[in-house]
Amino acid sequence: MTDYLVKDGVKNLIHEGEKLITTHCCYCGMQCGMHIRLDEKTNKVVGVEPRYDWPVTLGKMCPKGVTAYQTIDHEERITKPLIKKNGQFVEATWDEALDLIEKNFKKLQKEHGKDALSVFGGVSMTNEKCYLVGKYARAVLGTRYVDYNGRFCMSSAAGGFMATLGTDRGSTLPWPELEHTDCFFMAGSNTAECHPTSIQWLWKARDKGAKMIVADPRETPTARIADVHLDLRPGTDDTLASGMLHLLIKEGYVDEAYVNERCNNYEELKQAVEHFTPEFTSEITGITIEKLVKAAHIFGRSPRSVVMFARGIEQQSKGVDNVRLYTSMALLRGQIGKFASGVATFTGQANGQGGREHGQKADALPGYRKISDPEAVKYVSSVWGIDPADMPKAGVSAYEMFDEIEEGRIRGMHVMCSNPAVSAPNLEHIWNGFRKLDFLVVSDFFMSETAEFADVILPVTSWAEDEGTTTNLEGRVIRIRKVKDPIGESKTDWQIMKVIAERMDKGHLFNYNNPREIFDEFRLASKGGKADYYGITYERIDNEDGVFWPCPSEDHPGTPTMFKEKFGTPDGKAILPIVDYRDSGEVPDEEFPLYLTTGRVVFHFLSGSQTRRTKFLMEQCPTPYAEMHPALASQYGLANGDKVTLTTRRSEMELDVRLTKAIREDTVFVPYHWGKELAINQLTNPALDPVSRMPEFKVCSVKMKKALNETK
Amino acid sequence: MKKVMYLEFERCIGCRSCQAACRECGGHDAKERNYVEYVDFMESRHTFPMLCMQCKDPACARVCPANAIQITEEGVVLSAMEEKCIGCRNCTFGCPFGIPKFDFEENKMYKCDMCYDRTQYGISPMCASVCPSDAIRFIDFDEMQALRRRRTQMNLIEGKKPTEQDKWQYVPEFFGVYSD
Repeated sequence: MTDYLVKDGVKNLIHEGEKLITTHCCYCGMQCGMHIRLDEKTNKVVGVEPRYDWPVTLGKMCPKGVTAYQTIDHEERITKPLIKKNGQFVEATWDEALDLIEKNFKKLQKEHGKDALSVFGGVSMTNEKCYLVGKYARAVLGTRYVDYNGRFCMSSAAGGFMATLGTDRGSTLPWPELEHTDCFFMAGSNTAECHPTSIQWLWKARDKGAKMIVADPRETPTARIADVHLDLRPGTDDTLASGMLHLLIKEGYVDEAYVNERCNNYEELKQAVEHFTPEFTSEITGITIEKLVKAAHIFGRSPRSVVMFARGIEQQSKGVDNVRLYTSMALLRGQIGKFASGVATFTGQANGQGGREHGQKADALPGYRKISDPEAVKYVSSVWGIDPADMPKAGVSAYEMFDEIEEGRIRGMHVMCSNPAVSAPNLEHIWNGFRKLDFLVVSDFFMSETAEFADVILPVTSWAEDEGTTTNLEGRVIRIRKVKDPIGESKTDWQIMKVIAERMDKGHLFNYNNPREIFDEFRLASKGGKADYYGITYERIDNEDGVFWPCPSEDHPGTPTMFKEKFGTPDGKAILPIVDYRDSGEVPDEEFPLYLTTGRVVFHFLSGSQTRRTKFLMEQCPTPYAEMHPALASQYGLANGDKVTLTTRRSEMELDVRLTKAIREDTVFVPYHWGKELAINQLTNPALDPVSRMPEFKVCSVKMKKALNETK
Repeated sequence: MKKVMYLEFERCIGCRSCQAACRECGGHDAKERNYVEYVDFMESRHTFPMLCMQCKDPACARVCPANAIQITEEGVVLSAMEEKCIGCRNCTFGCPFGIPKFDFEENKMYKCDMCYDRTQYGISPMCASVCPSDAIRFIDFDEMQALRRRRTQMNLIEGKKPTEQDKWQYVPEFFGVYSD
């Protein structure tokens, strides 16, 4: 019992008969370090131990992290391929499943062209697998239709950073530096529930006197501890940010020397935010003038500040503008590229950062290259060993793929590591799309809502049954380790893509034996791109507690702090945005008088496919609910626990009422982690951002009434 | 070793990691022995962790007719000894903090034992290890004293939340494990 693992003077308990395997959590972008406890006799995962020496999280874990191991040997794991026969799934051999896939894929492509097939990827996979998804779609299937669930999660941040800073790395600074920051400006981020292990760094800073400003329509556990809580109307973030820029300029808080030297468009920005006076901003956002001015004073006077944001501002039809405007706050204060200051977005999924750089996006190639760039196509084709002329053109975004299905252009789909039947907006449209497909393959380890539509389900390994790398929310490339052998007949996603490639007569393109070989090819494919991983090796990751990209050569130290000297734009200068006020896709009117916004609870992760199967987490939060202010509820004659019917222009659903004063009186909040009749995304608006093509999950107008079939 | 459990209610984010982690402790049979409560959900999202205070003169042990609740040398108040516990539930009524719970299926009491399998070797209890906001900490006595002093100073400097000064009246002066 007194056996220890000791690293850097820190002791970790090793239980008798067990060994500890060092890895990272499978859920959000924090990628908390942890040890998995493996019983050596039975080869079963029996628990988790904190990893005190991991510099980003110091042993901290959220309830999802603590219970993450419980999905590894879960009894509901899919362990054999399943084929749908007469509406029922029956177990099959791998050969039967692959025969069916080969037959249908070839038939569809022969009859309708290569673009009849499509691939829907996900970013909870390792870098190696995410990289292969793009190659699989383009080089093996030869289709232009490939996109991924990051489109619902990270694409607005990516688009905003690209347009403003020229490179999209979610955080310009490493997390441990946050301890030395003087001011946090957090917009649309409920960090305490969505990335809880970040909170320790905020508190460490606050213990030294740092201030915290939180913009959120709800008084979340994050907003509760803020010095200023900007309780804005949903969908008015661009106005708030413009108002803050106006105040920073007017009150003389701009670092003129930095802006003149390192930014373009300052004069134009000045003009653009001229009319965003505190009065105007207050009218649009609903925040009092006093709070706005106080927030600007605190932010403007802080020598080191960080602007942080998340899905609250990004999942909007003006998400890219929101990101650009908030990023500009950091630019005007001259904060990007300095110690303990900068700008950061919280990535939602495990590999939300890495997964978006490797060519899973409809318009991107590995290393953050554009598929519209002939040089990029030429280079990546040479790495892949294909003819550049065979490289498909850019496809369409995730939601738009379902429009293509509707039109009959996409007829087959392979979904990997994703559950769009819960996570996409306007779900009726998505469900109809899945029903309309001629052939659907889903790779998953649980029977997800998407898998239920499938013709063939392929059992994949969980995160602990394969190795590889992920890139956490700081931009730090880290290693995920194999804890145990795969369950049943499951294969990893890369093995599945490999066997399908062989069936599609492209086996020579997928000649891999292990993740390391894939990583080495990916390093080469990313070489010279914006997201350059060439200098990162497994050994370096182990020895250096992860390596930050870009890292162009093996003797390069990596890049913890981005943009120290110049930005990623052609002339090295950041581009300040010129944005005028516009409405969200939907604003409340007489018929639909309220705002509906969605978000997470701390106990669940994305579509809930894993967390809804975890006992502890389900006990804490078993069903979704409609959270609203008591004053709003009393107008509709509702009490705590009543049933309410919410109706938007797309659909309607019934939910339990939960009352709290910690929300605006004009807003209803519903968490989104449940499927089918409990999925709030039946109601959400698919209005897309013009640049990032991200849907507007966070704002739509809704009406409500007390439910008739009262079951209190 | 001279370490104590230190709670800072203000920091609690209500994530219940401590509860999930408590289930992971050796011998806890997937039952948590600490709790997180809302102050008043209708008003705000303020939550606080509720742990065993490891009282110096524990009411649970004092009211136990079978003498089943043992206190270690270091001052840790353990769960009832299975062979002694008669299932009378006096301890659950006696504790002012509502910590001991009764397992009707197993017919025995269970309570926080401060992860004695870990703390006796100086390793932090699971709840304090994982707490993402450092609301629960396992720290040196001196560090705790310094933290409490600094906390009071910060309150004075910032001049906000005057009610915070009252809250310490309700929290015991200190609680935790001591050893020579």
